[in-house]
Amino acid sequence: MSDIQWWSSESFWRKTAIWVTAGSFVVLIFLTLHSMSEIWAGSKRVPAYSVINHRIDYVFDEKRNFQVPVIGVEEPLFGKKLTEEEAEALVSRGKLTVQAKNCMNCHTLLGNGAYYAPDLTKSWLDPWWGSKEVREQQMVEFLMSPQDRVHNGLGRRMPNLGITEEEARATVAFLKWMASIDTNGFPYNFKPIKQEN
Amino acid sequence: MIEPVALKDFFLTFFSAAMVIMAGALYALLFAYSRVRARPRLMPLAYAAYICLVASVLVLATVANLFATGFWTIIVALMLVGYLLAPHAIWHLCVGTHAHEHADEESRSFRQQS
Amino acid sequence: MAAPGTVAKLGKLDLANLNGGQKLAVKYFTVALILFGAQILFGLLAGIQYLKPDFLFGVMDFSVNRMVHINAMVVWLLFGFIGSVYWLLEDEAGIPVVGLGLGNVIFWIFTLAVAVVVVVYLLIQVGPGNHSTRWLIIEGREYIEAPRWADIGIVVCVLAFFYNVAATFTKGRYTGVGGVLVLDLIALFGLYLAGMFYTPNISIDQYWWWWVIHLWVEATWEVLVGCLMAYGLMQTLGVRRKIVETWLYIEVALMFGSGILGLGHHYFWIGTPEYWFTIGGFFSALEPIPLVAMVVHSVFDAGAHKMKNTNHPALGWIIVHAFGNFFGAGVWGFMHTLPQINLYTHGTQWTASHGHLAFFGAYVTIVIAFFYLGLQKWRGNVWMSGGLIGAWKWKWAMVLLNVGMIGMVMAMLISGYEQSQIERAIEGSTWSGYFIAQSHPWFVQGNWWRQVFGCVFATGFVLLVWDLLTIGRDEKRPAIAHGELATA
Repeated sequence: MSDIQWWSSESFWRKTAIWVTAGSFVVLIFLTLHSMSEIWAGSKRVPAYSVINHRIDYVFDEKRNFQVPVIGVEEPLFGKKLTEEEAEALVSRGKLTVQAKNCMNCHTLLGNGAYYAPDLTKSWLDPWWGSKEVREQQMVEFLMSPQDRVHNGLGRRMPNLGITEEEARATVAFLKWMASIDTNGFPYNFKPIKQEN
Repeated sequence: MIEPVALKDFFLTFFSAAMVIMAGALYALLFAYSRVRARPRLMPLAYAAYICLVASVLVLATVANLFATGFWTIIVALMLVGYLLAPHAIWHLCVGTHAHEHADEESRSFRQQS
Repeated sequence: MAAPGTVAKLGKLDLANLNGGQKLAVKYFTVALILFGAQILFGLLAGIQYLKPDFLFGVMDFSVNRMVHINAMVVWLLFGFIGSVYWLLEDEAGIPVVGLGLGNVIFWIFTLAVAVVVVVYLLIQVGPGNHSTRWLIIEGREYIEAPRWADIGIVVCVLAFFYNVAATFTKGRYTGVGGVLVLDLIALFGLYLAGMFYTPNISIDQYWWWWVIHLWVEATWEVLVGCLMAYGLMQTLGVRRKIVETWLYIEVALMFGSGILGLGHHYFWIGTPEYWFTIGGFFSALEPIPLVAMVVHSVFDAGAHKMKNTNHPALGWIIVHAFGNFFGAGVWGFMHTLPQINLYTHGTQWTASHGHLAFFGAYVTIVIAFFYLGLQKWRGNVWMSGGLIGAWKWKWAMVLLNVGMIGMVMAMLISGYEQSQIERAIEGSTWSGYFIAQSHPWFVQGNWWRQVFGCVFATGFVLLVWDLLTIGRDEKRPAIAHGELATA
């Protein structure tokens, strides 16, 4: 046993394993605390829920070298301006609907989920809704009865998930709010719906 | 902070990234085999694999625009040095940890007692 | 181990051959194998829906099949791990499992809870958009869809399991493997709590969701498998404990050192700050180091032991594990992990390709190896080395499962390559861009090939089950004794 060097001994590596693990974890805790302060609803990167009272766009930023969300003029969702509390309640209802209807096992949100249906990160800005005037209504109607709307050559359809009108409107609010999150340029090269007057 | 890969470079990116890992493993494999079987003639092949690794890293760094920023350039340099030394270090560790292999039979695993 | 009295029973399945923990282990293994079958079945159904979207439309939609596919995987691997830990517990600690009765009760509760969750998934599927749905029916977050009541049930079951493990080691003896195992289990199950809260903020939601998913799959599960491997190598190759445990510590240091902050590569696009590019990039470059270490060390070991071993199928699957982990986690991971390219590949079939190979290579293989270790002893420590009767079955099962997996992974790779170019880079990820890419011949043909190889994989599974039911049945030779391995 005497021929074992300190750097190849069991006890050295046991201590190293413990210190490396503990050290990495402490660093992760600090990074997490900082990240939380950066992504709290109402922070610069993740806007407050009342952002749904405004126009949201996705514009190329020369300095950062990718597209970033831009919060524009007042454009309340469904024409009704909400307080911060009302907006949070509506977005939360939408998030609960997204979870209850298992959206994430066909779609992706912020790129995470399944890959059977399109990414929803910027779905609020998708040109597929036609024009910005009809968009909100289009989205609500689509969510309530998607099964009749084949929109691709594959025959792939969204099933009817029993979404009520109230849930559909809340979901649209959630999707609009999600489009305002600064995702470091994901998705890349996105072509948003025309929103200029 | 990052400069995304250009469309024309997609294949090169995937291919060179895969080759980084493959060449790295091949280098480690040949290095270890040459040592364990005492075949020094294989060692040049191991270093040839390392040269493949260097080439792959440089291609990857170029197409992924890593040389555009200082931070990523440092990562590339560290990777090259790290991959060169890692098999040496791990080999020493293998020899070191197995040093007492035939020394004492008593400390063989506990399993016989089960 | 093979007492003279047991020779007459060689080849016969007899619980008397097992210790208490191992009797419980084979129950976990049985449920694990059934759920593995369910995973494959629902994967095939979901695959068919890519080809024929009207298949089961409105009855069992893609979302349901896909959810059962991935949940069955998580649960069967967990059951496999728990079973494997019970398997080695008495050998390692040197005493019978403390609180085995509780462990047995918990097994039935756990299994029943899983069955109820799956039945609710299949029959109720979705609920209204309120809190009662996420408490009772489904939480709707990928991989951890189980409703909150089940989360709490899982925590209770797992605490009981943890009590079994920790109390047994404490009362018996703490080996190095035992110490790492106990600490890893604390981390593993502590992390599960990070996923048990609700927030409307999707960025915060996904931040903590990755704590559970990444720190399980790329950190604590890896270390758990490291412990299982350490035991497996001592069993099959007769490698000395001191060496195995030193290397376990080395791997823990390398895997946690690169894996914990490797979490950064999931924080590129979910709203988190740009410094995660730096952290994710740096640790992605580090992640292959543990793999390089394994390559060098296994060559060294092979030179030292000449591969003479007690259990060919188990060692075969351990070798597949080494390759699968290397390609699935190493090559497939690094190919698309740098943010400069991940911007295009994130959330495409690339991810599916990587996920399939990595889960299979890193985890499925090792649990199958433990199935074989288990059966060997269950049949009275029967011969499972060269010239095993009916060896073609385990060999062909291994070939079919591997060919099936590689075929699926390649098909998804081609689809993903096309998708990242056309949907992401050119069309800019709009809905129409998505469907243009999904209609491309490369993508469509990729889906067909995936289905074909999925069927190959399923065939391999059937053969695996058949083999597990029959292997060693007609053997009359006892296994090679470990003393003979040492002289090799």
